[in-house]
Amino acid sequence: MRRTAGARHRRPLALALLALPLAWSAAAEELPDAREIARRAEDVLRGTSAYTEGEMTIVSRRLPVPRVVRFRSWDDRGGKRSFIRILAPAKDRGTGFLKLHPNLWTYVPRVERTMRIPPSMMLQSWMGSDFTNDDLVRESSQLDDYDHRLLAVEEAFRGLGGSGPSRAFVLEYRPHEDAPVVWGRIVAWIEARHATPLRQEFYDEAGVQLRRMDFGEVRETGGRHVPHLWVMTPLDKPGHETRIQIDEIRFDEAFDDAIFTTRHLKGSG
Amino acid sequence: MLTLRLAWRNVWRNPRRTGLTVAATVFAVVLVMVFVSMGAGIHEQMIEDAVRLSSGHVSVSGEGYLENRTLEQFVRFDAELARSLDATPGVAGWAPRVVGFGLLSNGPDTQGIAVLGVDPEREATVTSLPARVREGRFLGEAGAREIVLGRRLADALDAGLGDELLLYSVAYSLEMAYELFRVVGVMRLPDPALDRGLALIHLADAQAFFVYDDRVSEVAILAQSAEHTGEVAAAVAGVLPGDGVEVHGWPEIMPELVQFIFLDDAGMYIMLLILVVVVAFGILNTLLMSVLERRREFGVALALGLRPRAIFALVYLESMALAGVGLAIGLAIALPLVLWLVGHPIDLESEAMRGAYELLGFEPRISWKLEATHPLGSAITIFGVAVLAALYPAFKASRARPVDALRSV
Repeated sequence: MRRTAGARHRRPLALALLALPLAWSAAAEELPDAREIARRAEDVLRGTSAYTEGEMTIVSRRLPVPRVVRFRSWDDRGGKRSFIRILAPAKDRGTGFLKLHPNLWTYVPRVERTMRIPPSMMLQSWMGSDFTNDDLVRESSQLDDYDHRLLAVEEAFRGLGGSGPSRAFVLEYRPHEDAPVVWGRIVAWIEARHATPLRQEFYDEAGVQLRRMDFGEVRETGGRHVPHLWVMTPLDKPGHETRIQIDEIRFDEAFDDAIFTTRHLKGSG
Repeated sequence: MLTLRLAWRNVWRNPRRTGLTVAATVFAVVLVMVFVSMGAGIHEQMIEDAVRLSSGHVSVSGEGYLENRTLEQFVRFDAELARSLDATPGVAGWAPRVVGFGLLSNGPDTQGIAVLGVDPEREATVTSLPARVREGRFLGEAGAREIVLGRRLADALDAGLGDELLLYSVAYSLEMAYELFRVVGVMRLPDPALDRGLALIHLADAQAFFVYDDRVSEVAILAQSAEHTGEVAAAVAGVLPGDGVEVHGWPEIMPELVQFIFLDDAGMYIMLLILVVVVAFGILNTLLMSVLERRREFGVALALGLRPRAIFALVYLESMALAGVGLAIGLAIALPLVLWLVGHPIDLESEAMRGAYELLGFEPRISWKLEATHPLGSAITIFGVAVLAALYPAFKASRARPVDALRSV
C-alpha cells in the first residue's frame, strides 16, 4: 500500500527532473530531494498517526536518582491534534495533555483543574524534562515549517552508543520566516536506506548549538525502521539529559474523535 | 585694593548694561541650581522606588543568579545567616525570597508570571510591596496557600478576592508543581510589567511548592540610603559563608537604571552647558563694549606709565565682579527656592505624564535634593565662565598702543 503511494508521488518529480538541464539532472539523480528525505524521516517517526507507550527518564545533577515518567500518547498528525496521558509516577497519574490546534490544555487530577497553556509557553519544559511542550505535542512541523537542503552524505555515520556505521544524509532545516519555531536551523542525520532519523542538532539564530537529540535502538515496526530510544541533551545545561524509551508504537490507526476532547482529558483513559 | 575699587566703579559706570548682564547670570545660576538638584532628587527617588520594588540596595544570591534567575541558583537560608545579617552594621532591613516562574490559571485564562515567595513581616522592612495592597490584605500565615496579585494580572485572569487560582510550574526536583492558591489581596504596582506579571505567595509556601527546602533565591537587603550601598555590600560579603554566594549592589542588579540616570544627566548637562555658553557671551559682550569705550582712557593710563599687566588685572577684576554679583544674587534666590522645593515634591497630575513615568516604573513625582556640590559647582562654573569671557577684552585693553589709543575717539 505505502510503496505504491510513494511511487505515485515520485513520478511527477522524475518528469520534472527530465525537463531540467543535463548537468542538473545528473546531480539530482544521484541525490534525492531534500524535502523528500525529510518527509520520509518524519513519516518514520510519526506516520499519519501514531499511538505510543513509553517511559521518559530525566537525568540531572539535581536528582539523586533519575526521575521516571510513564505515558501513553495519541499523535494525530493529519488532524493536528494529540493527547498524552501520564501513567506514573503515582503523584501525577491521570494528568493529561490535549492539543487541539492551536490550543494546548492540561488537566491536573489532584486539584481537578483544567488549564490552558498559552502558545507563548510551548517552548517551556514539559514536566521538568529537556523536551519542550512543543516537542511532545508537536505544534510545529519539521516538514511544513522549514525549508530543507541536503548538506552532505556521510558514508559511515556512527550514532547513539557507537551504532552503525550507516550511510546517512545530512540535511539542514531552515525555518520559514513566519514559522512559529525558535530554532535558527536544525541539522539532521537521516539513515539513507530506511530514512530513520539518527541525530538532530538544534541551533539558535546566532548559530550556537543549544541541544542535540540522538536516536537509537532502531527496530522494524509496521514496515518502518523506527528508533525506540530518543535522547535529548541540552548543551547549555551540563549534567542534564532526558531519554524517551518507546515500549510500543503503532502507526496509521484511525483514532476515535472522543480521545481528543476535554471530556476525555478529565477522565482517566 | 585701588584696582579693586576702580574695577567696582567701572562695573557700575553703565548700570543698565551691567544690570542686564547680572540678570542673565542670576537667571543661569537659578536655573542650574533648580535643574541640578531636581536631577539629583528625581534620580534618588527613582533609585529608592526601584530598590523598594526589587531586591533592595544589596542582594545576596546564588552564583550566577543575576544572569540566569532560575531555581538552579540559590542560597541556603538558615538561622545562622539571619543572625549574621542582623549583626551587620548598616543593614536597615533584610528579606529572604524565592523567585520562580510559572503559569497562573483561572478558568479559561492563563498568564505566565514571576512568582515571588516572601516572608510578609520581613518583606515590609525592605520593599514597598506589602504597602501596595489596594484591595484585601497582604499575605498571612505560612501554609495558608494565599496569593497576592498585581491589579493588571488580576484583571487579565478575571480574578477577585477569594478566588482559587491554579499555580503550575516545574519544581526544583524537576517534578510538576501545581497547587491552588486563594487570592487575598490585589496590589497596585507602578511598573505595568510587574503589575501584569507578578504574584506573591508566602516564603514557606513557595519553598514547599518548588520543593526547595531551606533554599532561597536571594536575600534582599536595605541600606540606610543608596549612598551606603557599597559599604553595606562589603560588610555583608564579610559575614557570608562564602562558597557559591554572590553579593551585588543595586547598580549591578539594575544596570539599566544606572544607564538611564547617566543618559538623563548627560541630557541635562548638555542643556545647562548651552545656557552657560549664552551667559558667557553676555559677559564677553559687556566687557568688550566697556573696554572699547575706554580705549582713550587706557591709552592715557598706559602713556602715564601704568603697566599693561595692571590693566589686564583691572579688566579681569571687572569680570569677576560682574560674575560675583550675579552669583551672589543667584544663590540668594536659588538656595531658599530649592530648599523649599525639597520639602514640596510635585505629584504629577496630568495623565500623559503619569503614564510616561509609570511606563518607566517610577512614582509620578518630581522631587528635589540639595547637595553641597550644587552651589559649589554653580560658583565654580560661573567664575570659570567669567575667567574665559574676560580673556579677550583684557588682552585687547592691555595691548593698546598709547599713540593709537589717544588718537581714537
